[in-house]
Amino acid sequence: MVFSSDARWEMVDAITRQTVTYGTYKHTLGDVLGDLTVKPLTGIPVAFAALYAFWSVFTSFAGTLMTDGFMVKFFDGFWLPWMQSVWPDPASWHYFLFVGNPAADTCFEAFGMLTSGLFVSIGVVLPAVLVFYLMMTLLEDSGYLPRLAVLMDSVLHRIGLHGYAIVPIILGLGCNVPAVTATRILETKKQRFIMMTLLALFIPCGAQLGIMMSVLPDLVGIVMLCLIVGFCIFGFVLNKVIPGENPEILVDVPRYHWPVKEYVAKKLWNRTKGFLKEAVPFVLFGILVVNLLYLGGVIQGLANLLEPVFVTWFGVPKETVGPLIAAFLRKDLAIAQLSTIPMTTYQMVASVVLVTIYFPCVATFVVMLREGWKELIAAIVVLFVVVFIYGGIIHGIGILLGVA
Amino acid sequence: MTEEKAKGNADLPEKGTTVLMLGNPNVGKSALFNRMTGANAIVSNYPGTTVDFTSGTFIEGGHTYTIIDVPGTYSLEPRDAAEEVAVRMLRDSPDATVMIVLDATKTDRGLYVALEVMERGMPCIVAVNMMDAAHEKKITVDIAELQRILGVPVVSTTATSGEGVRDLAEMLRKAKVADIGAIAQRLRGEEQERESVRGCGGCGGC
Amino acid sequence: MEQNESKEQNEQKITLIGIYVALLGLVTLAFGIADILVWAGIRPGIQVGILAIAGDDFFRWAWGGFIMICAGLFMLAGSTRVATLQQSAKVVLGGVLVWLIAGTDIFARLCVAIPADVASPAFFNSLSGFLAAFAPPYTPAVLLFPFTLGILYLIWIHDTDDS
Repeated sequence: MVFSSDARWEMVDAITRQTVTYGTYKHTLGDVLGDLTVKPLTGIPVAFAALYAFWSVFTSFAGTLMTDGFMVKFFDGFWLPWMQSVWPDPASWHYFLFVGNPAADTCFEAFGMLTSGLFVSIGVVLPAVLVFYLMMTLLEDSGYLPRLAVLMDSVLHRIGLHGYAIVPIILGLGCNVPAVTATRILETKKQRFIMMTLLALFIPCGAQLGIMMSVLPDLVGIVMLCLIVGFCIFGFVLNKVIPGENPEILVDVPRYHWPVKEYVAKKLWNRTKGFLKEAVPFVLFGILVVNLLYLGGVIQGLANLLEPVFVTWFGVPKETVGPLIAAFLRKDLAIAQLSTIPMTTYQMVASVVLVTIYFPCVATFVVMLREGWKELIAAIVVLFVVVFIYGGIIHGIGILLGVA
Repeated sequence: MTEEKAKGNADLPEKGTTVLMLGNPNVGKSALFNRMTGANAIVSNYPGTTVDFTSGTFIEGGHTYTIIDVPGTYSLEPRDAAEEVAVRMLRDSPDATVMIVLDATKTDRGLYVALEVMERGMPCIVAVNMMDAAHEKKITVDIAELQRILGVPVVSTTATSGEGVRDLAEMLRKAKVADIGAIAQRLRGEEQERESVRGCGGCGGC
Repeated sequence: MEQNESKEQNEQKITLIGIYVALLGLVTLAFGIADILVWAGIRPGIQVGILAIAGDDFFRWAWGGFIMICAGLFMLAGSTRVATLQQSAKVVLGGVLVWLIAGTDIFARLCVAIPADVASPAFFNSLSGFLAAFAPPYTPAVLLFPFTLGILYLIWIHDTDDS
């Protein structure tokens, strides 16, 4: 026997009438605080404060304590000299692949698979990802995240998404791979497509943020601003262009509660493990492939071919073309590479923004493929168009400001 | 994000009884699942982490149950990818027992999807979860009465502390197909005693 | 009878704790404004006794200052009839914002204090170096922190009258 939905609701009503009794419920401080964090007037400052705390703990732990405090010292002081002294024959191809530049003083400059590769993945990215996921898990399990979703709903609706899109966005700041998977919480194909494209384009991952913070700490703010503006503009455009629906959000806001230690630990472990398994091999492999391409002259060839476009249209020096192409394999390393090229502030900002928006890394590429090849191809087309237009816009603004 | 996941029904173990754990998002299904299997599932406040469904096994009374944590859904008319997965899983395992998990503080929403499942004629058992939260909010759910009306076993649980989970596991073998017509009659006050359930309905706690 | 009395007390417009909260709110607000002014370059940096506002980076001073201003406003908004649930919640929220900033400031110091100096070959800081990193001057939020602990009283009265 099948009922209509109205009949079903009537039955539900009848059942609850007979079985459920509501006592007089007194509001607690927790309830009122919960309401306050959702109302825009008080909620937006709280969201700012939450992001402040998030960012502050992130930079203190990952940047100051782990990377600058210990990892740089270890990798530059012990690991690199040791590798350079142990590996035979500095002129050979395998030395170039695995150790890199024999004259390098720091792991940023060496570019070998076992020097820069290990330093980037373990010294820079691992602490960043670890503390990022810890904060993320705490936000989630305390019940703040759904409230943030409600708060962000009206803004995100303008760009074709809804409040829950905040989840893939925040996850994407850690690593785009789980973020692409998390786009499944959005209801329609249109939303998922917009989200995935914007993720690939404008959300820098933890690896990129970590590198940006250590190689060009003064410019992170400007780069982020460029990315946020781009995110909003192109989200708005994509929303207008792509057919489809953007249904209302259906949120369940749980009560605030203390996160359960075991669940936090378990989740943290699962996520970090996922990162180690899926992303780290790509870092190492990516450097290997880039070095091979350098050896084979492929990157040089492409750089010569694309040079006019980059120099005239984006206004960046021609040395950046190589790293920009290598960015397909590993964006974070490309930023490290860029930092060694002498450039003006404008050129630095423009090229870092370009690297960030211009192509997802291989790992992201693979998970996007898993979500559907048609969407992936469409996303790539959008990507090229956006990179071209946005790169041009930044260059244009640079010319107007007289810095380009 | 990388829970142990099965890609499609081809990977489902064949031995024993399959139990589909179904309910609204945020009713503590994952926590209940963790309690029952001790497996590597993730509890979360937002829907989405359970899109890749989790499965595990447990043994009760010499019987092996394969239990699957179905993505949270508000109805069987799917609205998003996660709900689609939920509906597909129900359709693909017609022999499964469905464990419907309700949030004691929001029973109405959960009952809606419960009735939809019952209409499909699948054997059911109902777990009224989050009893602790209901108690805090001064909401009481008459478990015995609910069991009498629905005609299937109803168990109250608190997954976070583990209360009632043992009973739930024991009651699984008493899961039965609900007679939706009889439910409607009972709601209109036309009694039609079903002895087998009635015999157990008295104590409420079992 | 007792119920009535406490009701009356709740409705009283100005109470001792209300004045305390209002003062706290004013100071917090002033600190927030000072943070932003120093960052914007109106003054090169303030150091009064153990209080220091360096204003050297956007994140900690402009953004953090904005949050301090909000915290101050929340406390001021909640300072009348402070014992009622709604008003207490505003004050507690303001307190939480100050605690967040103070907590992250202290955490940042801790992270600087643990490793040894960049130039030295050792990995860990010496004990004296570690302790020296926590010497004054402090940021406004850290200084405010002990004075905001009175807000715990508000949380306590609402926690106990529930049961």
